[in-house]
Amino acid sequence: MGETERVREEVETFQRRIGALREEIGRVIVGQRAVLDGVLTCMLAGSHALLEGVPGLGKTMLVRTLAGALGLEFSRIQFTPDLMPADIIGTVVLEQSAEGRNVFEFRRGPVFANVVLADEINRATPKTQSALLEAMQEHRVTVGRTTHALPEPYLVLATQNPLEMEGTYPLPEAQLDRFFFKLEVPFPSREELHAILERTTSDQRVEVRPVLTREDVLAMQDLVRRVPAPRHVQDYAIRVLQATHPNGEGAPRSVTRYVRTGASPRGVQAMLLGAKVRALYEGRFAASIDDVRATAKPALRHRLLLSFEGEAEGVRPDTLIGDILDAVPAAKD
Amino acid sequence: MRRAAARAARRLRHRAALARLAALLPLPFVYAAVALAAIKVLGLGAQAEARLILGGIGLVAVVAVAVLLAWLRRPPRWAGALLLDQHHGLSGRLTTTLELAETPPAERSPLAALAIEDGVSACQKLDPRGAVPVPLPRELAWAVPLLGLVVAIGLFEIRTERVIPPPPTFEPLVLTDDDLELFGRMAEELAQQAQDPGSLAAIRRFNTLVEDIAARRLDRKEALARLSELDADLGRALEAEREARELGLDGIASGLQRSGLTRAAAQAFEERRLEDAEKALRELAERLKRKDKKPSAAELARLRQAMEQASRASSERLQAIEARRRELEAERKSLLRKHGKDAKGAESDPAVADNRRKLERLQRDKAQAEAAAREMSELDRQLAEAARELEKALGKSAEHIEQGAEDVQRMARKAMSEKEKRELLQRLRDLKEIVRRQGQGGADRQRQIARFTRRARGQQGGGGDQPGKAGARLVPGVEVDVVPIPKIARVPGQGAADGAPGNRGGGDPQGPGAQPRSGAEAGKSHDANVRGEATAPPVGETRDVTAAGIDTGEGTASAEVIYGAAERGFVGKPYRDVFVQYETVAEEALEKDEIPPGHRFYVRRYFQLIRPRE
Repeated sequence: MGETERVREEVETFQRRIGALREEIGRVIVGQRAVLDGVLTCMLAGSHALLEGVPGLGKTMLVRTLAGALGLEFSRIQFTPDLMPADIIGTVVLEQSAEGRNVFEFRRGPVFANVVLADEINRATPKTQSALLEAMQEHRVTVGRTTHALPEPYLVLATQNPLEMEGTYPLPEAQLDRFFFKLEVPFPSREELHAILERTTSDQRVEVRPVLTREDVLAMQDLVRRVPAPRHVQDYAIRVLQATHPNGEGAPRSVTRYVRTGASPRGVQAMLLGAKVRALYEGRFAASIDDVRATAKPALRHRLLLSFEGEAEGVRPDTLIGDILDAVPAAKD
Repeated sequence: MRRAAARAARRLRHRAALARLAALLPLPFVYAAVALAAIKVLGLGAQAEARLILGGIGLVAVVAVAVLLAWLRRPPRWAGALLLDQHHGLSGRLTTTLELAETPPAERSPLAALAIEDGVSACQKLDPRGAVPVPLPRELAWAVPLLGLVVAIGLFEIRTERVIPPPPTFEPLVLTDDDLELFGRMAEELAQQAQDPGSLAAIRRFNTLVEDIAARRLDRKEALARLSELDADLGRALEAEREARELGLDGIASGLQRSGLTRAAAQAFEERRLEDAEKALRELAERLKRKDKKPSAAELARLRQAMEQASRASSERLQAIEARRRELEAERKSLLRKHGKDAKGAESDPAVADNRRKLERLQRDKAQAEAAAREMSELDRQLAEAARELEKALGKSAEHIEQGAEDVQRMARKAMSEKEKRELLQRLRDLKEIVRRQGQGGADRQRQIARFTRRARGQQGGGGDQPGKAGARLVPGVEVDVVPIPKIARVPGQGAADGAPGNRGGGDPQGPGAQPRSGAEAGKSHDANVRGEATAPPVGETRDVTAAGIDTGEGTASAEVIYGAAERGFVGKPYRDVFVQYETVAEEALEKDEIPPGHRFYVRRYFQLIRPRE
């Protein structure tokens, strides 16, 4: 079997696995296809997602189901104002060894899991929120003089409630930037609500079976990185990124007016990686401009810092990104 | 795939060019509409129209260039392929394939190879026409009504009321027959007196002019122009002749002064008494012929010198002028050389300007001297011959002097002809003044003059105007704004019109012969007829002894003649005599007294009007 054929089979396997994963999760989660795909994209890109939605939409359930379907270790941290960094990272405790000696031993916190659910992350203090920074970016934590590697694959899924602002601490820009996608969890449709009721108010008990192993996920992540992104696709993504800046080339009038600071280079990385994942979802072997356009909103919406005028007028970042996508031509020399 | 992408890109260029055309096409149409409207409504001149047309051509050229540039501009590299992708829902497969295919196969990753393979299999039937439609832009719809507007404006006819200037009317100069007869007769008289061809030519021109006026072939402007031209020509010719002759005579006079035998002639020449000069030369010739009064050798030697000198005067003067001219020319060249090529510097140099003025003056002097030399050429020749023969044969010399005298006589006649020319010049100026003033009085004045001339010829005035009463004015029925004829003083016994204190009524209502009465006391009032009765001269019974002319005291008194002329017209011998007397006095007064030129015309015109008629 040639290299090409082997890769073709890899791609086909990728699609089969994704299909199986969707199907398994779909047994528990009703609808929310876009959110699920976004979360999977983040996972396959080796990064993290921020889920925003009102309570009761199944965010926690989604993450928990995902972890179960992946057969990965899962932990959940409920963020509260009194939560301390050590509560999530872990701490050193004095213990008596079998020999009867007192020794300091590191007790790992909840971040030491493959899938970490940081529930209502904006309720914790910035200090505690920052504790997640190193873990999310470096996939490791340092306690004292010792650095502890986090298990791979490592996925942090944070949730936040957009309505309750009382007693919350909005995430700092630096931390927001570390989330690959910001996914908005929509309210279910009537049909979906019927299905939810069916499933949750009956005696049905659905047990999620792991359909993928840790190695499968790592292989899929490796395949994603190998998907080619032609130059014209990269160029398009870059031009979209530039247009998010008020003074950037091709920025539409709304961006100039309502945006204080545009997206960082992590934004274009997210768009391109997301495009690659999407290409694989659709059975293609290279990312396209359409893929970039599809991933632009989740990749950029949390990276746009609105100006005072934008905030005051309640401008939604998705609207601005829509303007940008309309303004930036697909081809340009 | 590449061809399809290239075709799509080409269609993009077509679309861009069409869009540019649609955007710019209304401009030439709007321009054409405005320009056409401006041309039609404002009626611009040919130059402005040409500019507008050029502007339109320029605008069309600009539009064409803009469209061409839009067509030539290459679209972005993958624009065509991307549109094909979009049209066929290929999710970028075509573009990705084309781009990845540019990488050499050995360098391609397996996924890239798979992507190319996928793209090739997916892009089987590509439709560039469908992917890049080239529809007619909606903006082109504007061109249709605009084109219609241009055509409508082009067809729209604006009727302008062109003011056609009336053809130039010819208003001939109309002089009264009386005036025309006067000037015609003057020309005839002058022609009879004229002795030289120059005078005759001038008189002919004058006569032609009068004939043209009589035939009403000239309007006032043209008549004045021709009069002025004749005046100027005659004046110039007279002046030039006079100056040349005087210059020549001065030269002859200064030469002949050297001998006692010719001193009398020299004096006469100097004082311009040409008849005396002729007489003196003839006497000298007679003396030379006669053996009894033969001059001494010394006298003859001086005479020879004098005649030689006199004969050379003109040529010497010419030579002196020529020598001086050469000096000035040399000086001019030297000055100009100093300035080199600096023409402006030479122009502003006062020395060069002074030199130029002197040369011009000298040129005039030379022309004058040449004219004088021509005038005196015969006399000079005769004097030179006479001087030469003086040593050999006195008789022959005398003959030459006599011939010289003949030439002086010719000059005298010529001087006389100058008088004719002056006379003609004067008549010319009179006519010019009449023509000039002719338009001032209007038709009424013309009618008055015509009526006056009819009466002057002894005919009755008509035309609805009341004839003047005899005795009321010297020239009855005419309001003449000229110097009034000298009044005839009242003779005693006619009754004064002015009353005096203590003399009620003053005037004697009974008429002539009544004695004024002296009142015993101061008058308390006055007679109702303060001015007394109108004068009623008893013609034939009284005798005028005072008149503003010369009254010989013989025959019919001047006043009677004048009264008679007022009733019968200016005819008859007595009136002619009185007129000649009066005119002679007037002419003398005009010559002697300081009378302004404008007033002289009135006097002359007056006498022209009251001149005797046939």
